[in-house]
Amino acid sequence: MQALTNLERVMKAVHRQEPDMVPTFELDIDERVIEALKPGASYEDFVDYMDLDALCYHELRTDHYEVLDEAKHIVRDQWGAIKQYSGVSRAIPMVLEPALKSKEDLAKYVPPDPDLPSRFKNLEETVKRFKGKRAIISVVRPFATIIGSLREQDELFKDMIRDPEFVEGLNEITDDYYRRYVKNLIDVGADIIVETADWAFTNGPMVAPKHTAKYITPGLKKIVDYCHSRDVPCLKHTDGNIWAIFDLIVETGTDGVHPIDPVAGMDIGEAKEKYGDKVCIMGNVDCGRLLSWGSKEEVREAVKDCIRKAGKGGGYICMSGNSIHGAVNPENYAEMIRAIRDYGKYPLAV
Amino acid sequence: MFNFDELTNSVADGQVDKAAELTQKALAAQVPAKEILDKGLLPAMNLVGRDFESGQIFLPELLMAGDAMKASIVLLRPELSSTGAAYAGKYVIGTVEGDLHDIGKNIVIMMLEGNGWEVTDLGRDIPPQRFCEEIEKGSYDILGLSALLTFTMPKMPETINVLKEAGLRNKVKVMVGGVPLNQSFADQIGADAYARDAVEAVIKAKELLNK
Repeated sequence: MQALTNLERVMKAVHRQEPDMVPTFELDIDERVIEALKPGASYEDFVDYMDLDALCYHELRTDHYEVLDEAKHIVRDQWGAIKQYSGVSRAIPMVLEPALKSKEDLAKYVPPDPDLPSRFKNLEETVKRFKGKRAIISVVRPFATIIGSLREQDELFKDMIRDPEFVEGLNEITDDYYRRYVKNLIDVGADIIVETADWAFTNGPMVAPKHTAKYITPGLKKIVDYCHSRDVPCLKHTDGNIWAIFDLIVETGTDGVHPIDPVAGMDIGEAKEKYGDKVCIMGNVDCGRLLSWGSKEEVREAVKDCIRKAGKGGGYICMSGNSIHGAVNPENYAEMIRAIRDYGKYPLAV
Repeated sequence: MFNFDELTNSVADGQVDKAAELTQKALAAQVPAKEILDKGLLPAMNLVGRDFESGQIFLPELLMAGDAMKASIVLLRPELSSTGAAYAGKYVIGTVEGDLHDIGKNIVIMMLEGNGWEVTDLGRDIPPQRFCEEIEKGSYDILGLSALLTFTMPKMPETINVLKEAGLRNKVKVMVGGVPLNQSFADQIGADAYARDAVEAVIKAKELLNK
């Protein structure tokens, strides 16, 4: 097959077709890994250097944070939540104080402005440099906004039982924000939208499937429907063991499911067999023990195994089982990319 | 004769007000607090734990049951403390250095307390030395280490090593838990047990105590 552009390769896989080779990219790559493999490189330069097939833009990278205590890494996010980052990483801050403390706060709550032009500056730059070459993917996370900014997680879970009206009110805030935000992302030039709110833990869904269907999947479906009205694919990421809610995720119409979390015991072969005709399967290379402390040989074997189980006929994007976080051994990530290129050429020979 | 089943069901169903009301009723009827705990609350937490493990209930239901249990136990505490009713054991817990996340740890604490453990919560972002100091001065059965972030996991073996160097490793059993962990990691770092969730933490803690 004639070599495809990186964008074409991703789009073929997302549409469950067979590209020239299995694509690869990551939802997030820690700056320490970038620095180790290509000192001084920006994220964009690194994507070029590694020839990754797509770039991902997170809201967090373009959001405006108000620093409240620099020494203690305490900030107020755009939703009004006060958060604290660990001294060693900007990943996953702890929520010290959510934006809303009770249902009464809903009436007076003023959400951030999704039309703020400054939000899209980085994306505009990316579009200038990469449009038509590599897939430009924008990340949105409505449920994570509720759980990570608007309401304290445990209280939200209890609200699902004791105060459904409150949860519906929170959903209305994020539905409205993300409807407008996603429109802007696509207008500016995003090729693909990915919704990355975690809906599951290692053992199973965060909340009962009936609550997932009532409170969580409708928000994704609205985004998927809008994306499809613009001919833009929409992917879904969630950590954890999702077997109990996989059908619900697929029913939203999402085009792909990431990362088929190996730490949560998700088997990629089973996912491909059950859902490979409905969604693109993405991920599954263990970034816990394997990419952090495993050997290069083990990494190559894991990549080969993923491609063998999920690559047949296309519709697979080989990625880590979450992200390339700061504890990943940079050499192992480089080896993973080499192995994808070695074993991922169609027709597959693994 | 007090109806313990009714109290058990109200806690398991997460009915906070009803659990408190029934507890008050039992105390007014001169039922000893320890008996209310043993016959009313512990069976409820067992029921909830079993249903959570088998995937019949999820975190919202578990948390509601936890609130109902707390509403009851707060009424029993004065009598439990004054009579010196025995706890299941003494547990000290914290999130390791560099990790600011404590939601999982707090759920573990809720389940342990609901099962009669006395729990000391050191909080989050706890350096190995701080754990070590606490073990040295206290008399704990188990030390629980929690982590959410993969890159803070190395703080667990570091804490175990600090305990070893201080000659305190045999003074306490060490349990580890958190999203990025698994049994093989726990084995690798020499922990005594790994628990994949709060319910399993209670089971493993009991097993460790009986060893």
